[in-house]
Amino acid sequence: MTKKISYTLMYVMAIIWLIPLVWTFWTAFRPKKLALSPSITFDFTFANFSHVWQGAPFSTYYLNTLLVVVGIFTVQFLTATMAAFAFARIDFWGKQLVFVLFLAQIMIPADILIFPNYTTLRDLSLLDTKLGIMMPYLASAFGVFLLRQMFKTLPYELDEAARMEGCNLWQILWKIYVPLSRPAYISFGVVSVSYHWNNFLWPLIVTNSVENRLLTVGLAIFAQSFETGAQWSEVTAATIIVIIPLIIAYMLFQRQFMNSFIHSGIK
Amino acid sequence: MRSKMKAILLVLASIMIMAGCSSNTANNGGSAAPASNEPAAAENGGAASTDEKVELTFYYPVAVGGPLTQIIEQMAADFTKENPNITVKPVYTGSYDDTMIKTQASVQGKTPPDVAVLLSTELYTLLDMDAIVPLDDMIAADGGDEYINDFYPGFMANSQTGGQTWGIPFQRSTIVLYYNKEAFKAAGLDPEKAPKTWDELADYAKKLTKDGQWGLEIPTTGFQYWMFQTFALQNGKNLMSDDGKQVFFNTPENVEALAFWRDLSAVHKAMPEGSIEWATVPSDFIEGKTAMMYHTTGNLTNVKNNAQFDFGVSILPASKQHGTPTGGGNFYIFKGTSEAKQQAAWKFIKFMTEPERMAQWSIDTGYVAPRESAYETEKMKAYTAEFPQALVARDQLQYASAELSTHNNGKVVKAFNDSLQSVLTGGADPAAALQKAQEEADKVLAPFNK
Repeated sequence: MTKKISYTLMYVMAIIWLIPLVWTFWTAFRPKKLALSPSITFDFTFANFSHVWQGAPFSTYYLNTLLVVVGIFTVQFLTATMAAFAFARIDFWGKQLVFVLFLAQIMIPADILIFPNYTTLRDLSLLDTKLGIMMPYLASAFGVFLLRQMFKTLPYELDEAARMEGCNLWQILWKIYVPLSRPAYISFGVVSVSYHWNNFLWPLIVTNSVENRLLTVGLAIFAQSFETGAQWSEVTAATIIVIIPLIIAYMLFQRQFMNSFIHSGIK
Repeated sequence: MRSKMKAILLVLASIMIMAGCSSNTANNGGSAAPASNEPAAAENGGAASTDEKVELTFYYPVAVGGPLTQIIEQMAADFTKENPNITVKPVYTGSYDDTMIKTQASVQGKTPPDVAVLLSTELYTLLDMDAIVPLDDMIAADGGDEYINDFYPGFMANSQTGGQTWGIPFQRSTIVLYYNKEAFKAAGLDPEKAPKTWDELADYAKKLTKDGQWGLEIPTTGFQYWMFQTFALQNGKNLMSDDGKQVFFNTPENVEALAFWRDLSAVHKAMPEGSIEWATVPSDFIEGKTAMMYHTTGNLTNVKNNAQFDFGVSILPASKQHGTPTGGGNFYIFKGTSEAKQQAAWKFIKFMTEPERMAQWSIDTGYVAPRESAYETEKMKAYTAEFPQALVARDQLQYASAELSTHNNGKVVKAFNDSLQSVLTGGADPAAALQKAQEEADKVLAPFNK
């Protein structure tokens, strides 16, 4: 009985979650005139998409977004892994204090740092570059914290065994800790990739040239229309252009994502 | 496992290197990219000119939705054709708010844009940042009174303070009443006669309300201070002093005006109760869910293209007098750039505000052309002959006043917006709510009144 109720609840939640997504797809493929009409007809059109696609250089934006997202995650993977290992397994003076500072950093929203980061990038002559977009995110306090917690759960005996076999610290990290922490890496990857895929304000402020801009800027051209009110057909079409790779990726790797979240304990 | 790990690392490392390189190449060889926005003509024409080459950075927002970036880029390219030694680099910067944040970041980072379109209400904020230059000398040297007096005074009100001109109107709007002529006929009203007074407005709205159709919608989210300014101006005077250091929120006229607005839904039941979304009011009108709406003229092209019925546009109904605030964006020129750049920026502004170009921009977007002579152009005459609704906003400009703008504008507007909302959707008492907003605003403005 309780099982039945919980299943019903689950379906209700799933439907509530699905409605905006379904509506987005529905509206994007319908003629502009029918955008908000409640009638259910089978008018179908690609006009919204072609209109939106021609409105901004989306292919450049796609490539840039991919480069930035992959670039950020790659470096984060290296920096967070090493920092997390240090916090989890190596004793050094002031470790607790440094770790608390790291945690405190999670609480500072990135938007507050826009002005100081901008000034730093100007001093480094990195304004209007993709590297400039990535720079402030190359280390991630959240990633360090997540991986540290994961590393701490691994039995110390594995360390000792590896040491007996003659492994040095570097080898222990890359051969034992990293492979065993796959779920944590996947969940960190999901958080990092989706955050940077969707990030708008920072890339907008750092970049000036079309060649360095990201997908979200293309979406903004259509979504930010306060003078006219929302243009639903174009907004939904642009939204789909932006989110479709993530949705496809999610569908392909759904099982891995689920497992990793269960293992790493993020909800 | 080991070799796999190595392979992954190798791939990741090489991607990083690629990413680094490509951002460099994009930086150096930007004009070689396929994007059509780089005015290639600059390279050819520039060599012929003896003048020093100047490159201008131009920040602009898009607030009407749609691919207007291409029109702006075309305009910039045309400008370079006429002035081969000046290249304009237009930078799309999101919404007005995003543009302001980006501008603030770059001014603080000492890399300001040369010229930008920002809300006319940001004037005092920009002045407090010491970010912009007065334009009077440039106007006197090139353009003169003939140029500046051609702009409608309603738009210049937000562009001048302390006896100096700081901005040139570009994409400006006012609030007008849109009404559905077919709904008027169905309710037994004359479709050629829009309501002229507040009483008529309430009366018409009641008559037009039926199942599935509201009589009137006035947005109560996002820009409620702007909507309220119409009532305040019609019933008394503007909400702030000309120097942006004082506000007049709690006048008896404003209390009466706010009560009238509230009663449209609370007493007359002709407007939806609760909050009315700014963004969906136009769609409601287009779909016939409301017979009348108060909205910006920026919407005109949208309604024209999408409404399936005959619609009218009218000057807002009056109480003691007609009145509307203006809105939209001005050109500003920034401090901290070279004299040559500022002169070039002025040339660019003059070019962008030429009557022909203003007329075309108005037709493309629905914004009001801010210059009288734009309405004298053949283009505009042909357009308004076929679509007379486009003239209403211009005709109303004689009654237009400045949009609410003060020092520390963000905090003042927020206090006022919150109070309005508490009355319109929360049922608070108008007098008490306006009093509260007045006190909060006075506190925020106190440092400027020393």
